[in-house]
Amino acid sequence: MHLVDLFQWLNESAVSVWLREGEWQFPIIETIHILGLGLSVGTILWVDLRLIGFVTTRHRVSEIVGPLEPWAMTGFAVMFVSGLLLFLAEPMKCFTTLSFQLKAIMLVLAGLNVWYFHTKVYPSVAEWDDAAVAPWRAKMVGVVSMFLWFGIIIAGRWTAYL
Amino acid sequence: MRLLAILPYAFFEWCENTALGTWLQQAMWGFAIIETIHIMALAVLLGTMIVVDLRLLGVGLKKLPTQELSGLLAPWFWTSLAIMIVSGACLFTGEAIKLGKSAPFAYKMLFLLTALVIHLTIHRRAIASGLDGLVLSKTAAWLSIACWLGIALAGRAIAFL
Repeated sequence: MHLVDLFQWLNESAVSVWLREGEWQFPIIETIHILGLGLSVGTILWVDLRLIGFVTTRHRVSEIVGPLEPWAMTGFAVMFVSGLLLFLAEPMKCFTTLSFQLKAIMLVLAGLNVWYFHTKVYPSVAEWDDAAVAPWRAKMVGVVSMFLWFGIIIAGRWTAYL
Repeated sequence: MRLLAILPYAFFEWCENTALGTWLQQAMWGFAIIETIHIMALAVLLGTMIVVDLRLLGVGLKKLPTQELSGLLAPWFWTSLAIMIVSGACLFTGEAIKLGKSAPFAYKMLFLLTALVIHLTIHRRAIASGLDGLVLSKTAAWLSIACWLGIALAGRAIAFL
């Protein structure tokens, strides 16, 4: 069985049809997905900017990352669940649309970036917590994160056009 | 409720006939690019709002005094707001008449106006008082959240209604 068959099967499933053809399901889930942006990207933004050194540099990195990460994680959980439902509503369209493929790839990369940060970079934070300028790896994580999340937002919007 | 009830039809017609409006109506990608800018600025704007409002509610970046936090984020707030207003105005010229007839759009503008008034009055006082968790801070935070939610919901509803 090819991947396309799986997506076709998903597309014809009762759940998919219900999500796609109902009057209120898709609009409400899509609205939650868009509003979730504020909580997810809206909070991780400040973590990234602190790592890069653009904001709150007089405060310790851990004092920015620590309090904000739970909120960012909550926001991303909302995005993930609502995103999954939106995907289930139109699996074939997502599968065949370039912008969604790019979005999916960027999401995976964003996840890897977070994993990298927490395993290879953040553990040593005590050494550079007070620094206004973080080590280059931390800065890189911040830059990559911002590029990816804004890329994901752009790709997400273009999925609606294509 | 619609803007056409308040402003003359000629205004919306004029907007659509501007060079920018005409260009946006003809080149779909032009509209998409400006809308993308609008959405990116929105993410930053919501980001400044959520962090300050969470702080007023006594959660999030608790170690930073409200006034200091608000001051640090202020440039980001005003810049992203400016970008949203400029990009929003551009998008408006692309479909002014349709937006003039749209109830959700009228509500979006009303929520935006309310948000700005709240932000410059109650919200500012709550931040200056520096004592989070008080009634004023919590009220200001929830009002702010409600307004920006209203703007986003109404904005989204434009396409559906």
